[in-house]
Amino acid sequence: MQNPEKLIRKGLPRGHLKDLMVKLLLGAATYGVVIIALLLFAKIVKDGAPVLFKAEAPFVDFGFLLDKNETLHVFDDSQGVRHQLPASRYNEYLTAHADQPIYNEQTFSYSGGGIVGPIVGTILLTLGSMILALFFGVSAAIYLSEYAKQSPFIHAVRLAILNLAGVPSIVFGLFGFAVFVLAVPVLTSAPADRSLLTIPLFMGNYVISFQGWNSSLIAGCATLACMILPVVITASEESLKAVPQGFRDAALAMGATRWQTIRKTVLPFSLPGILTSSLLAVGRVAGETAPIMFTAAVAAKDDLPWESLANPFDLLSSQVQALPYHIYTLAARIPASEYTQRAQYGSVFVFLILVASLSFGSMLLRAKLRARIKW
Amino acid sequence: MAAKAPALHRFTRQGISLEGGIRFFFASNAGLTIVILVLIIAFLLKEGLGFFPGYRRELEVYRVAGLEFVDLSRGPLTSHEQLASVLNRAYYAEINGRAAKELKRMLESSELFNAYSEGVAPPRDLILKNLENGVDPNSEMLVQLRERFAERQARALNSLPPTPHLTIPERAALVADLRRREVTATEDPALVTVLADEYGAARQRFAEPLSGFREVIDSFESAGSDLSDLVMDMTETVTVTKEAIQRADILEKDRSSLLAAAANTKDPAERERLTADAEAALAETPDIAGPMQTLMARKPDCAATHAALREALAGITAKLPSSLTRPEANRLLQAAHKGTPILLAELAAAPARINEWRSDKPVPLSMAIRRFLTGKDWVTGGEWQDFYGILPLFVGSLMVSVVALIIAIPLGIGAAIYVNQFSARLEQSLIKPVIEFIQAIPSVVLGFIGILVLGTVLREVSQVEWLAWVPGFPIEERLNIFTAGCLLALMSIPTIFSLAEDALNNVPAAYAEASDALGASRFQTTFRVIVPAAYSGMLVAVLLGLGRVIGETMVVLLVAGNRIKIPDFSSGIGSFFQPAHTLTGIIAQELGEVPLGSVHYRALFVVGILLFVIVLGINATAHRFFNRTPI
Repeated sequence: MQNPEKLIRKGLPRGHLKDLMVKLLLGAATYGVVIIALLLFAKIVKDGAPVLFKAEAPFVDFGFLLDKNETLHVFDDSQGVRHQLPASRYNEYLTAHADQPIYNEQTFSYSGGGIVGPIVGTILLTLGSMILALFFGVSAAIYLSEYAKQSPFIHAVRLAILNLAGVPSIVFGLFGFAVFVLAVPVLTSAPADRSLLTIPLFMGNYVISFQGWNSSLIAGCATLACMILPVVITASEESLKAVPQGFRDAALAMGATRWQTIRKTVLPFSLPGILTSSLLAVGRVAGETAPIMFTAAVAAKDDLPWESLANPFDLLSSQVQALPYHIYTLAARIPASEYTQRAQYGSVFVFLILVASLSFGSMLLRAKLRARIKW
Repeated sequence: MAAKAPALHRFTRQGISLEGGIRFFFASNAGLTIVILVLIIAFLLKEGLGFFPGYRRELEVYRVAGLEFVDLSRGPLTSHEQLASVLNRAYYAEINGRAAKELKRMLESSELFNAYSEGVAPPRDLILKNLENGVDPNSEMLVQLRERFAERQARALNSLPPTPHLTIPERAALVADLRRREVTATEDPALVTVLADEYGAARQRFAEPLSGFREVIDSFESAGSDLSDLVMDMTETVTVTKEAIQRADILEKDRSSLLAAAANTKDPAERERLTADAEAALAETPDIAGPMQTLMARKPDCAATHAALREALAGITAKLPSSLTRPEANRLLQAAHKGTPILLAELAAAPARINEWRSDKPVPLSMAIRRFLTGKDWVTGGEWQDFYGILPLFVGSLMVSVVALIIAIPLGIGAAIYVNQFSARLEQSLIKPVIEFIQAIPSVVLGFIGILVLGTVLREVSQVEWLAWVPGFPIEERLNIFTAGCLLALMSIPTIFSLAEDALNNVPAAYAEASDALGASRFQTTFRVIVPAAYSGMLVAVLLGLGRVIGETMVVLLVAGNRIKIPDFSSGIGSFFQPAHTLTGIIAQELGEVPLGSVHYRALFVVGILLFVIVLGINATAHRFFNRTPI
């Protein structure tokens, strides 16, 4: 070989330009998605943040967070000054200025006041459904991870979890409506006509009537819990499995029973992991609209859930407002105008902050947990 | 020899123990998932299966009362009316097309005037109200108001819309006119009136050469009046019959529930009373035969009217011009040309169908099922007849999903390949959280964005002139299939991205190393080795993304436009810019309003069953591919 240098091709390889183009294209697709997501977030922050924050101390407009939702009245007084007042202050204004006429009056439903009702409703729904889902989900996960051996039953459970995870949320809405709203048993002295079955108890007039819980907080919580159950089970099982087998072996070797082992050595180490991954589920529960549309949510409600109740248990059987349903109402039922923007973008902003902080918190906690626990 | 149970060790405790109880408790919680799944299926079926017998009865009433017979004539009549409206639109499109210049001038001038009026409206209204009240207007306040008016006027005059088709002196004159304008003036500015007259004259001028076309259209329209009268006449009779039958049905239902109650009651007196009530509620059988006979007597008349209309139309449509000068008008005319033979064929077939029709032909259950699965109408709460045909909803869901997947697959998989193969670690730590964040956005927020932002933006983009070549542009409806598809694409990108990225990650490093060792470039390794190895994983990603898209409710409910109609496919790709309704959307929209246990209520549960089956089918397919992953 005379000149080995000749064998090495100089310059850029063949097809270099094509490769570069493909890479640019893929990069453009990726950053396109990223930019669209950021633009979306920026739009909501730009229009929503001014509703919640203000320039002077204390910088947060607590009125929007803590006032009840009301109808907004927009009108001119005879001096030509435009007023925007929620219904209660509008009535005060009318009594105070009874002798003066008002002009160009317009009303916008759900657009005045604040959103404390929907916020509280969402918190109650989320809390209730997470309590149910965590209780049943973690128990199921303990069985799957600690007790189960290969059996047809376990196979069926895994198949059910897989399928439940794929059921569309609106079908859960239908299910919740048919089961929790219309069919589950209640203890009552006056069964409804549509009751599927009544079982007399021979205690006074009381019967067990399969007539459902009506549209109520508890029905909504149960529906949401069913929906989120597969997520909680899968996440919990993963956390339980992450506890090294040696811990269990050691506990059992010390003579602990199966349950003692689980309670003293497995659960304490997996609980942080379970709670962290459940935060993600909380975000999803808080964001769902379709399952609660017919089972719990109501568009307008004057009282907060716990006000004007005969006994505390009525809280469970009362309907609640919810943020996602409130946003749906604001978006679908009200024509957009400059006066409804505050309510619309403000609610979306608060909601997005809530959900984003949940998922962000879960991400951070997970990273922290991974760094801390090293088996 | 009987098999003996294996002897237990003597240390093993027998009977119920705490440990066994705890174990049973956990096992039953695991079994809860099965219970929930079974409950979902059972209750969907319980509420849904009653639909088909109920719908069959409705269809039976539809036939027995003669509504179906009237619809035989109504079908051709509706097509005739539609065709007449297409011809009318073609006529006006032609005239407006020829008078386009005058039309634009008129529109621009009145738009400018409207913008001005809107700008000054609030103070102007107040001044007018104060003046008309009769009470002595507070002069000080009036001065203040006039000041505000002048201020608003100056602002309004500074922000007038552009008028490219008005000459500069014309515009200046109009603006000057507005500046001089009295607060109380109500008549239009001079130029607006002049241009309106100009446009009227132009229309008149261009209508003259088209008078032949106009006459053809008029005679086309009036030819249908006989059939229309006949249909109206028959409609009245059959509606009465249908109401009578429905009343009888309700009474019969009451009676059977009373009888059932009587059978359950133990008290004999009470039972006696309930039975008596039931007897009293016994409805007299409504008279069906009489009205039906009069209806049947009309058969020859009906057939003759159809034949006559056909003959008349055949003569008239031959006189239609073969083409028009304006593209839009010509498109409509060609559509009419295409539609006439169909209408004529429909009319020709009608007499035979009318003569064949019999009210006593049985309505089998299979017909209810067929009409549900292949029906093109979802009509509910109407006065005439409710139809539950799934097709428009299914097509809507399908089209939205197609749009979403066409957008999401390249973006999601492209992003996965980029992030997995070509990006630096720093880029990854930026891109991944953002895409995960998209997943956390609740769907109702995306729907909200679609209504308030994306719909408007898309429509504005579609009205840009140099984009007019895109089929379907300019978009007529702000909320349509494409808008919903875009948002659903955004929703499914995270699913597709993360699963596809996992699939790429799962390709063993040995593949890439072997490829490198053979001297392949980075790109050859990626596209010839790694991506093909991850194909099945990517397919799973796409299928699960599809499952998510089809099951999504809030976005389509808010953004897809909610028009229950199969989109008009004659406009090709443009049909993706029409509004539609979807399987999920219809449940969310109508379940809150239907009476419990009605046929409509049950129909929604059948839609739910269908949705459940579709999504489970998709997921099952995905998991089969998942298990088949060769690695």
